[in-house]
Amino acid sequence: MSESVPIVLRVNGEEHRLLVEPRRLLSDVLREDCGLTGTHVGCEHGVCGACTVLFDGRPARSCLLYAVQAQGHEVTTIEAVAAEGRLSAVQQALHEAHGLQCGFCTPGIVITMEAWLAENPNPSEAEIREALSGNLCRCTGYHNIVAAIAKAAARRAGSAA
Amino acid sequence: MSGAADKGIGAPLPRKEDYRFLTGQGRYLDDVAVPGALHAHFVRSPHAHARIVGIDVAAARKAPGVVAVVTGRELAEWTTPLRMAPPIEGLQPVEMATLPTDKVRFVGDPVACIVARDRYLAEDAAELVEVAYEPLTPVPDVARALAPGAPLVDETLASNLVSHQAFTAGDPARRFAEAAAVVEASFHQHRQTHAPIETRGCCAVWDAGRAHLTLHIGSQVPHPLRTTLARRLRLAESQVTVISPDIGGGFGQKIALYREELTVAALARALKRPVRWREDRGENLLAASHAREDSARTRVAVDRDGRILALELEIVEDFGAYCFYPANYLARVVAMILTGPYRVSDYAFSVKVALTNKCGNGPMRAPMAITSWIMEGTIEAIARRLGLDPVEVRRTNMLRASELPYAMPTGEVLEDVTPRETLEHALAAFDLAGFRARQREDRARGIHRGLGICCVVESTTYGSAFYKAAGIAGSGHEAGWVKIEPSGAVNASVGLMASGQGYETAFAQVVGDVLSVDPGAVRIHLGNTDTAPYGMGSRGARGGTAGGSVLFLAAQALRDKVLAIAAALLGLNSSGELRLAEAKVQRRLGGEWTETGLSLADIAHVAYLDPLRLPQGMEPGLEAHKAYDPPPMTYSNATHLCEAVVDVRTGGVRLARYLVVEDCGTVLNQQIVTGQQHGAIAMGIGGVLLEEVVYDEDGQNRSGSFADYLLATAVEIPPIEVISRHTPNRRTPTGSKGMAEGGVMGAIGAVMSAVNDALAPFGVVAERQPLTPPYIRSLLRGKV
Repeated sequence: MSESVPIVLRVNGEEHRLLVEPRRLLSDVLREDCGLTGTHVGCEHGVCGACTVLFDGRPARSCLLYAVQAQGHEVTTIEAVAAEGRLSAVQQALHEAHGLQCGFCTPGIVITMEAWLAENPNPSEAEIREALSGNLCRCTGYHNIVAAIAKAAARRAGSAA
Repeated sequence: MSGAADKGIGAPLPRKEDYRFLTGQGRYLDDVAVPGALHAHFVRSPHAHARIVGIDVAAARKAPGVVAVVTGRELAEWTTPLRMAPPIEGLQPVEMATLPTDKVRFVGDPVACIVARDRYLAEDAAELVEVAYEPLTPVPDVARALAPGAPLVDETLASNLVSHQAFTAGDPARRFAEAAAVVEASFHQHRQTHAPIETRGCCAVWDAGRAHLTLHIGSQVPHPLRTTLARRLRLAESQVTVISPDIGGGFGQKIALYREELTVAALARALKRPVRWREDRGENLLAASHAREDSARTRVAVDRDGRILALELEIVEDFGAYCFYPANYLARVVAMILTGPYRVSDYAFSVKVALTNKCGNGPMRAPMAITSWIMEGTIEAIARRLGLDPVEVRRTNMLRASELPYAMPTGEVLEDVTPRETLEHALAAFDLAGFRARQREDRARGIHRGLGICCVVESTTYGSAFYKAAGIAGSGHEAGWVKIEPSGAVNASVGLMASGQGYETAFAQVVGDVLSVDPGAVRIHLGNTDTAPYGMGSRGARGGTAGGSVLFLAAQALRDKVLAIAAALLGLNSSGELRLAEAKVQRRLGGEWTETGLSLADIAHVAYLDPLRLPQGMEPGLEAHKAYDPPPMTYSNATHLCEAVVDVRTGGVRLARYLVVEDCGTVLNQQIVTGQQHGAIAMGIGGVLLEEVVYDEDGQNRSGSFADYLLATAVEIPPIEVISRHTPNRRTPTGSKGMAEGGVMGAIGAVMSAVNDALAPFGVVAERQPLTPPYIRSLLRGKV
């Protein structure tokens, strides 16, 4: 056991003043100390992608970061997407295309793909599959997720135009 | 079906449960906050097979934050062992302690449990537990398990052969003597594991004042789990509540009551404090439950045209070290339904199951996964041997509509299936002739394409009669209730628990359809044993047929009561000319449906709050409870076609196209059914190409992370075309048949078939999975 240290975490625009052991994972602190349980833990070794959050706006595995490393950075979790009750383009398309089943991997996919579409507004199917390959889904076979991302991309392009 | 027809049975409605999952508001086990809960962590064996000489927990008990450290000795006082001894011929009775005290049987076997203030501290303390082991010779595979003089995995047994059944129908020996040719084929399917993205876990709360245990656990079968849990804790079933929150995937892994879960429940009771447990990914891969790993050999007697005269199957399954299920449970079904869509009358099988020093097996999505590959692979072996077109050999042997119902040689009755229709439809949709032309041209350029075909007959909903006939303990019934509350709101519940199947939507469609209310207004309550009726839970492909049917019947009973009340209020002698439409009562007058001015809410108000207006003798309230036992078995069928490209220099396999034509009867929600088909096919493809639990010669597990146990990503799984050709089952209330496992069966067979078609010019046949590049290269060495 190591001594707890005080940290300030900025998550979804809110400041959390916490006392954490330096060894505690960002994923655990988000879930247990900040009460943000939408970030899921599937493997704790950075493969499955369920715990993906935005770290200064870029997707990152919260199970591969210590909470203390997140000081001074902006963390965004699934709870901040659709915060006003309106689903994002990716969320809405996943719903319409049945791109989720058990839902456990879904927050990581929403976070990853929203960020990716912002930088890749006109992706091909092969590019979507490549971008999605860092998120494991055991239920859907990916078919409907890929269709949903394409749909979300088209919608985003439409609304931007 | 009236009223909300566009949202009723069959409508491809987007799911009601999606919103919470999409917005991070799902409530999975670890999201259930229990104040003051302690955290459990297990100390596990590093040996495949070893005597436990002693366990020293003194240092661990003194570690910071530790509240308790227990071993099998305490658990033996607090719990009863699991005895697995159903009266099945050829099945040896076995017994399992809650935690082992004498020896460990596989790498990952739990030997002690630490309870501490948090999970980090519990894991720290685990390092301090000193277990003295005396290593024993491991039994790493079936061959060595069944060799004379093999070390015993379970020392109460006479040998490692824990189950053996044989069966003969007709006179196969005579048919073999008459045959124009005898063809043999073999099939080896490797060890796999379910790997739900949410691992196992639970949280036990003991209420000492009420002497009541609540176990929060993602379970596919809350009631059967409660029965086992209560018995093993020596509690009455009325003293235990099982609550399943949202489940992050199950696939068969979340059925049994595992030793860790029982330990956590016993600890909560002993410590009088809530205890929770979440296994990590390594534990899940090493020690939760494994599946498959069976080797099969077929011998088939045929005439000159490839017509099957007799078939013999020998199958041997590596069951691992412990029996959480009767050991015959999985492989036996393969043998029972092997012949599938084909006409076979003379048949014999031998099913052997062996214990080894590996994690115990359990049912994994399509426990009978290997079935279609064995049968289709045998058909293709016939075609190769006789120089016939494998499609023609299928047509020659496949049952025609006029031959149904058809009693398989095992006595199982196949009816309301359309194998011939799905095969022909699939071949036409794929453009077989066009493919063969492309294949020829590409071969000349060194590109090796193959077309795989797999015709699947999927056993979906197991009725009690099948369990009895198959020698498997269990019931196939399901229970449900539907209530219209005083306001007119509709609640319903069933004993199943969802882990992604969308029951909250599909079952709301069923109930809404019958009661003519919008499915959005029907709430399906799942997973709480105090609320839900005692049902057999989610397993196999029974949800739609067992669960959908019982709610359909309950809703019908309730609708009849509603209309009877309406008739009384309208002063009519009978409800014959009344119906519900858009939650209102309508009456037929002169052939026209007209409003009566009564709504469902009006009827509900009277039923609950003004019962003196009810018909004479009618009970107040509006609720219906039903139980439903499906036919012995319902079958769905499908034809899977897969185009694979094999790189003969590297052994790499790429899937270029995947198409399935399916008949699964009446569907409750086609979008959900298609999604289940995608998921099952992906699990089959991943299983054939990537996933593999690897044990070495010493019984060490070499696949304890997702870097070693490879799940398919969006790159390896191709787009999947699903074509529906549903025809109803005439024996089930809605016409449904069930589905969701056949995709695994079909994908395994289709991918193997496609790769073998691609490899045909080299005169080699892949008989083993997984189809790794090194394996394919080993087949081609010296030939390319």
